[in-house]
Amino acid sequence: MQCPMRTREGNETLIAYGARTMTPEAESEFVRHMSGCPSCLELAEQQRALWGALDYLQPLPISADFDKRLYARIAQDQPRGFFSWNWSWRPAMPVAAACTALIAAFLIRGPILDQRPTPAVQHENVNIEQVERALDDIDMLKQLGVGATPAPADSGSDS
Amino acid sequence: MKEFRPLEAQPYVDDRVKTNMTVVASLERDAELMLRVRDGDHASFGLLLERHRGPIIHFLYRMVQNQAVAEELAQEVFLRVYRSRNSYEPTAKFTTWLFRIATHLALNWIRDGKNEKYQESLDAQTDENAPRQVADRNLTVEQELVNAVKLQEVRKAIETLPAKQRAAVTMHKYQEMEYSQIAGVLRCSESAVKSLLFRAYESLRARLAHLA
Repeated sequence: MQCPMRTREGNETLIAYGARTMTPEAESEFVRHMSGCPSCLELAEQQRALWGALDYLQPLPISADFDKRLYARIAQDQPRGFFSWNWSWRPAMPVAAACTALIAAFLIRGPILDQRPTPAVQHENVNIEQVERALDDIDMLKQLGVGATPAPADSGSDS
Repeated sequence: MKEFRPLEAQPYVDDRVKTNMTVVASLERDAELMLRVRDGDHASFGLLLERHRGPIIHFLYRMVQNQAVAEELAQEVFLRVYRSRNSYEPTAKFTTWLFRIATHLALNWIRDGKNEKYQESLDAQTDENAPRQVADRNLTVEQELVNAVKLQEVRKAIETLPAKQRAAVTMHKYQEMEYSQIAGVLRCSESAVKSLLFRAYESLRARLAHLA
């Protein structure tokens, strides 16, 4: 067997030996190799020792209320429905309803008030009619000759 | 030259095949449960939590080395799983997806330097909890102290590893994940995982050689 430390797969072999995950055949072959390769033996033993030392880091017990806290967070995170969301708004509901009714009444009655002609417009209409009427009167008077300037009497016919 | 040690008993290949088949079945079960959660079955979420709560918290504990922080991050992991239930598609292994979320949160926590403010409590926690972790009624006080010191050294050695190497070692050593699954979690190639692990174990061997 070629020295694993000189091959690309050497690291993998070393880690697998430390973790005891080699197949029995592969491990036997590696062990045979190590009996004649002090550097591989030293590294492999260090890796196994490390593997054992890492076992000192054992996890601590999980808090008893872990699930309870998680479910509380999930419940908080849920998109809430209208009624459950508005529980705190319940006392203000009558006031909100009254405001809505007032706004609705204002919107319904508003357009009727707007349809009434404003005094300014009315005044403007009257003025136009008056002007037109006055112009008609003037035309009529012109046709009748009323108000026409009389011709100067005997202005030079005697001479 | 050191003395040759005989081989220890190894599980037979048949046993490993059976174990792998069990693992495959459990993976399919996870995906099935998650699909049920998607369909509104909250009890299935409880089952998923029951199955993966321990591994996720233990993984996070070894990453951040603080139990309270590990549990807080684990809560966030399961909350994210629950939030994602509607968009869940079983395209990857459920555990790969779960550990990806956990690793992402742990790496962010480490990167953001949040561990600094917990350093004081970590030291206190170490002194307080270390003997309990290895407590054994058959051990003498002296042995317990020795174990506590060893634990402290292991913790410090792991803590000095770069975050990604720490994640790879934690998944490989404690979660017994395959290279391919670690690669899936870390979103890198298998050869990159092997490289990460080799460098990590090399550093740890150098730091912890005296414990052998």
